[in-house]
Amino acid sequence: MDRFLNKTTLALCISVLFLCSANLYAEDLTADEIINTLTKTMNPEQSQGKMKMTIVTSTGEDRDFVYETSSKNHGEKTLLKYIEPTRLKGQAILLKNNANDIWTYFPRTKRIRKLATHARKQKLEGSDFSYEDMGASNTFIEEYNAVRLNDEKKEHHLCYKIKLTPKSKSSADYSKIIAWVDKKSFVPVVIDYFHKKYIELLEKELICRDIRVIDGIFTPMKFVMYNKLDNTQTSMEILNITYNIKLSDDLFTEMGMQQ
Amino acid sequence: MKWAFLLLFEIVFLPQNTAGLHAQPVDIYGYLESQYTGMYLYKVYYQFQSSKLRIDLKSTSVAHTEFGADFINLLYCGKRNWNVLEFLPDKIVASLPTEMYPLFQFAYEDSFYPDNIYARIGFNRFALTIGKQQISMGTGYFFNPTDVFNVKNMLDPTYEQPGHNAIRMDISLKSRFQVMALVSPINADWEHSGKFMRIKCGIGHFDFSVIGGKLDYSITDFYNFQTRRGSKKVLGGDVVGELIGLGVWAEGAYNYLDYDEDFYEFTFGTDYTLNSGFYTLIEYHRNSLAKADYTGYDLNDWMGFLTGETRSISRDEIACYFRYPATDLLTISTSIATSISDGSAVFVPTIEYSLFENINLSLMVNLYTGKEGKAFGRALGNGGLLRATLYF
Repeated sequence: MDRFLNKTTLALCISVLFLCSANLYAEDLTADEIINTLTKTMNPEQSQGKMKMTIVTSTGEDRDFVYETSSKNHGEKTLLKYIEPTRLKGQAILLKNNANDIWTYFPRTKRIRKLATHARKQKLEGSDFSYEDMGASNTFIEEYNAVRLNDEKKEHHLCYKIKLTPKSKSSADYSKIIAWVDKKSFVPVVIDYFHKKYIELLEKELICRDIRVIDGIFTPMKFVMYNKLDNTQTSMEILNITYNIKLSDDLFTEMGMQQ
Repeated sequence: MKWAFLLLFEIVFLPQNTAGLHAQPVDIYGYLESQYTGMYLYKVYYQFQSSKLRIDLKSTSVAHTEFGADFINLLYCGKRNWNVLEFLPDKIVASLPTEMYPLFQFAYEDSFYPDNIYARIGFNRFALTIGKQQISMGTGYFFNPTDVFNVKNMLDPTYEQPGHNAIRMDISLKSRFQVMALVSPINADWEHSGKFMRIKCGIGHFDFSVIGGKLDYSITDFYNFQTRRGSKKVLGGDVVGELIGLGVWAEGAYNYLDYDEDFYEFTFGTDYTLNSGFYTLIEYHRNSLAKADYTGYDLNDWMGFLTGETRSISRDEIACYFRYPATDLLTISTSIATSISDGSAVFVPTIEYSLFENINLSLMVNLYTGKEGKAFGRALGNGGLLRATLYF
């Protein structure tokens, strides 16, 4: 019994020490380390699933879009295929090189059109998400300098608070970004995007909810983008997703778009 | 007509019945499009309405296969009977004997027809499509010189094209390296069937294609309504990509004709989207078969253009397209096409409104500015159309 207690006590001590050191380590994380981990968390190696995008239009009406999404190489390649509504059924969007190359496929005419990178900023079906948002994004790392602010509780999560400001000569779209990153999952619980010109004007707010562990990866099942200027909002809901999948490169081709 | 409805009945309902037995569902979807068109022609206002029902059937329930078909039912009312001569310059009409006038009459007839019916067997790197199917080539928005199967309507260039009978094979040799070969068995013998090939590859931000083919062509002499048929060889290519932040594309084809003068066509264009979502596009097109001097346009030039035998009537044209999403539901756009050769232009302002999730409304106006006899002359009729499309 004593030996058991000793073993248990030892194990507990080691665990507590490990947790303390881990926590200490986590507390010591720099802003760049947090942003790097966030980017890795939000761009898993491979994924395949079904998403539902709901747009609340300027008339207050809900519009639903359901599409299949496949992603590889941490989102470097992404394929979207619309399932609903019927007017878009079969339409596909292929994003490669982190959305620097975009192709769209129109099933009624069987036409494939390549879009230039300027199209990345275009809204997807009038939503508050752009083509760029649908692909992987290293934007926080490449375009912004990160500074860690005081930790805060946000949306019931204990969070790192990070301020991102554009690097010199960057083509960043916002004057600053404030991100609240959940300490446990490294999922950004809230991200505030500020207007490029009117630097104190909050332009968009992204809120991630319902964080679950799927195939060992923290996944926000719902996220909502509020456009504070247009007074519109777009929500995304993951209907199903798997990360334990091996996707062929052939899926991310013109033929893959048509299948 | 009866056979067509029976065929549709069988195709729509039989697979559903068997679906219960064999679990092979067929997706049924399509759209209903009602369109009102009004036009001023020589100070007389003409109107006609068309209603189009398209029903698509598609099954992918068997692995690696796709069976697809669509059927179109078109109904017209209003001014259904037209004479092409009403749109042609007086001097050309005057040169024709009056007994020929009835030959230029045409009517919009109610119709029901299968537009595409095909079967596709597809694997990761190989696909074979057999049947009447959509074929589209090229990178241009208004013009596609390499698309030997379709001629776009400049006023509505993204509208769907008719299906074409073909046996088509697509092979993906690498991620961005594909070969497409097709045979279009229009005629009974192999010799006169269309053969076409495209090799497409991607390098960096660019996609390149080389095309080649041998197809039948026909040229009609509308002075005596005799059609001359021959075969033509086409060699061309296209490219699409990005330069200094602008989307760019170019496309060209040289046509070697059996019995007529060879000709070439090429187009190139660029586009850009501002952060506000304002989209701009400009495209230039040259058709060496067309004439540079509008006073030389004759009956065959006009008829060849109006019947789609040739892609343009004037040699050099520039077309622009501007689009702005005014709200999340309302998009306003304008197309402007101008003939460099004769200085005429047409403006096509358009408003598109997404009324409900699957209902779109479009208002499109066409304003021709040129004087009679020019490529975009007012004699072609100024007016517009209101289109409501319900997707189901």
